[in-house]
Amino acid sequence: MAKYLLKRIGQSVLTLVIILTIVFVMVRQMPIDGYFENIDKLDEAVIQATLDKMGLNDPIWVQLKDFFLNLLQGDLGTSARYSRGVPIAQIVAAKAPLSIQLGVLSMAVAMILGIPLGAAMARSKSKFWDKFGTVFIVLVNAVPSAVYYIYIQSYGTQLLQVGMLFDRENWVSWILPVFSMSLGNIAYYAMWLRRYMVDELNKDYVRLARAKGVDSKKITMRHVFRNAFVPMIQYIPTSLLYTVGGSIYIESLYSIPGMGGLLVDVITRQDNPMVQAIVMIYSCIGIVGMILGDLLMAVIDPRISLTKKEGAR
Amino acid sequence: MKGIKDHISQPLENSMFQFAAYDSAAAEKAGYSNYSYWGSTFRCFLKNKAAMVFMTVLVLLLLFTMIQPYLPNQYPANLVIDHPITGMQMMNVKPRVTNVEATAEKDTLLIVTPWENEEWLAVSNVLSSIPRRENFTVLEYGSDFCKVEYKGKTGYVKNDFTTKLKLPDDYENTPYEAKSNYKIEIFTTPNVLTYNGDELFVKKSSVKMLEDGNAITIEKSELRLLPDTRPFLFGTNNAGQDLWAMVWSGTRTSLLIGIVVAFCQAMIGILIGVLWGYVRSLDRLLTEVYNIIDNIPTTIVLILVSYIMRPGVSTLIFAMSLTGWVGMARFVRNQIVIIRDRDYNLASRCLGTGTFRIITRNLLPYLVSVITLRMALSVPGAIGSEVFITYIGLGLPISIPSLGNLINVGRMLLATSASYQLVFPTIVLSIITISFYIIGNSFADAADPKNHL
Repeated sequence: MAKYLLKRIGQSVLTLVIILTIVFVMVRQMPIDGYFENIDKLDEAVIQATLDKMGLNDPIWVQLKDFFLNLLQGDLGTSARYSRGVPIAQIVAAKAPLSIQLGVLSMAVAMILGIPLGAAMARSKSKFWDKFGTVFIVLVNAVPSAVYYIYIQSYGTQLLQVGMLFDRENWVSWILPVFSMSLGNIAYYAMWLRRYMVDELNKDYVRLARAKGVDSKKITMRHVFRNAFVPMIQYIPTSLLYTVGGSIYIESLYSIPGMGGLLVDVITRQDNPMVQAIVMIYSCIGIVGMILGDLLMAVIDPRISLTKKEGAR
Repeated sequence: MKGIKDHISQPLENSMFQFAAYDSAAAEKAGYSNYSYWGSTFRCFLKNKAAMVFMTVLVLLLLFTMIQPYLPNQYPANLVIDHPITGMQMMNVKPRVTNVEATAEKDTLLIVTPWENEEWLAVSNVLSSIPRRENFTVLEYGSDFCKVEYKGKTGYVKNDFTTKLKLPDDYENTPYEAKSNYKIEIFTTPNVLTYNGDELFVKKSSVKMLEDGNAITIEKSELRLLPDTRPFLFGTNNAGQDLWAMVWSGTRTSLLIGIVVAFCQAMIGILIGVLWGYVRSLDRLLTEVYNIIDNIPTTIVLILVSYIMRPGVSTLIFAMSLTGWVGMARFVRNQIVIIRDRDYNLASRCLGTGTFRIITRNLLPYLVSVITLRMALSVPGAIGSEVFITYIGLGLPISIPSLGNLINVGRMLLATSASYQLVFPTIVLSIITISFYIIGNSFADAADPKNHL
């Protein structure tokens, strides 16, 4: 276990370093406009002096070395255009808690709604819930989320009698963003849980339980659900990545002052250091989520071999 | 000596050497099966009614999208349509089946605006107007239009007396003097024959010119929005472009992106998946590469690549292909690892079959159905990503219409009366993505031998 843990963490750190390097080198290919508030009004000498000061004229490996050294001290650099001169860490720290709250809430909602839906679909095969769930899953998966988020925002705010934009103090205005963010994951959990439960229902132990006369409700809840639930853990990391992707859109749509909205903001303002920093933070979230998912699965299901990872679903 | 013919009781005839017809009962008796994988797959697929419906819809839609620019009576996409007299853009014109805005009865007096065209005449029924705070005489009272006289001209004004007209208390007792609160227009007939105050257009052949330069209709005639018969089926957008043309042009762009991305992902995915699964020495390296790429949220890669490169169709295709192949490669790899060492492959290898031939003849045919499924599913995925990237501001410029930027423009208008500008692109997009999704899934079900009976 410890060996696996060390190996997994080491692998992730390596992955992180590679991703950070790639992002860093890629952002350096951008035009230098993204480091100044208004490059047209500055003359060449000032531009060069500023670039020198920021270390942008150094060879790329020197920049990379400086960047990693700074990063180890928790320094993400300073914003260039979004709010000039303010350390990025400070901007992000002010925005991150709200994003985390929303993300965690939406994942909780997804589980609370998605798992019962999946179980209901498997239990009443080809009855109402199965049909409802199938239509729901097809719609959520096939129609681009960017499209139905717009409709949810427009009609939902009318229905709930709240403003189009997010208001932190008013709990009603939390409902729509959290619900929208969880939709994709509800469908995802329901789809996989149904598939696993249907697989389990066809197994011999279920037939034995039936033959013994065990109540069908008890079979589903006590036996089938428990066995089907374990492999679901492996979908938590992926659903975390979904949430991250969804949050970028949702936060910007509802003007939620969080990290996702911030990313869209700094992209439209072409603030290179901030785009770089936020992209890096999101990559870290992805990696950490993946590790946690793997560990969780290792802890919960002893049948899963840790050293040999078979990918087939 | 007995001849060989004596042993054969039955004479040999050519008719005995014909192929027998397939008889399922006899086949069952003999244990023969004419099972063919692809035959069963297609039979299974054709039996699925929902899939067939969506298949038909999708094929028709794709065909229509391709031929739409060559149909008669189409506006070109991106053309900003101006009103020929005012020069204003025809913004936010509601969807309509024809561009006939109003019909004029026979013998209607139409006021002609000086404007030249061989076929059309610019007309309205605005005779004159009453400036604000002027007195005029009401000759007849009506709940919709009142007949009035002002400076020797007799005509009709719209009866919104609460705001525009100041009438005496016993307003039905005509004639009387009244006063205008605002500028009001006098029409020749008790109806409005303008489009938001702009002139309409009538065919020269359906009117007779009068001596004072105005015209009178000689038959019941249609007054059109523009000197043109082309309709705005989806209305116009807020830049004055024909939304119908824009939507189909956008559908072509989005489908192009979707299909090219699906194709690229499949190609890269299959190539790398096969190498990963078949070449043992590459397994370690490619697994590590996979672990790295799989850990990055796809959205972030999309955003970063589109941010760095110039916005355009090729950028989007590149950005989406960059991450999308990963899932395909992993799947192909897993399948190849499973079937690579089966006996028939071992035998094939012992007989000296080349690696390339083993892969293309022995391994890949097993994966065709799954590859098709994944390709069908990546089309809606790519179209969705395009919408998302456009929203962030990194997508295509509006001069290249795509479903993404049409939806993004329409987004602001959902709560207004111009919500059709969001609804139409959404409907087309949803039909395409849902069709691809359902067809892909049904095909995967049909291709699964478990479902073949």
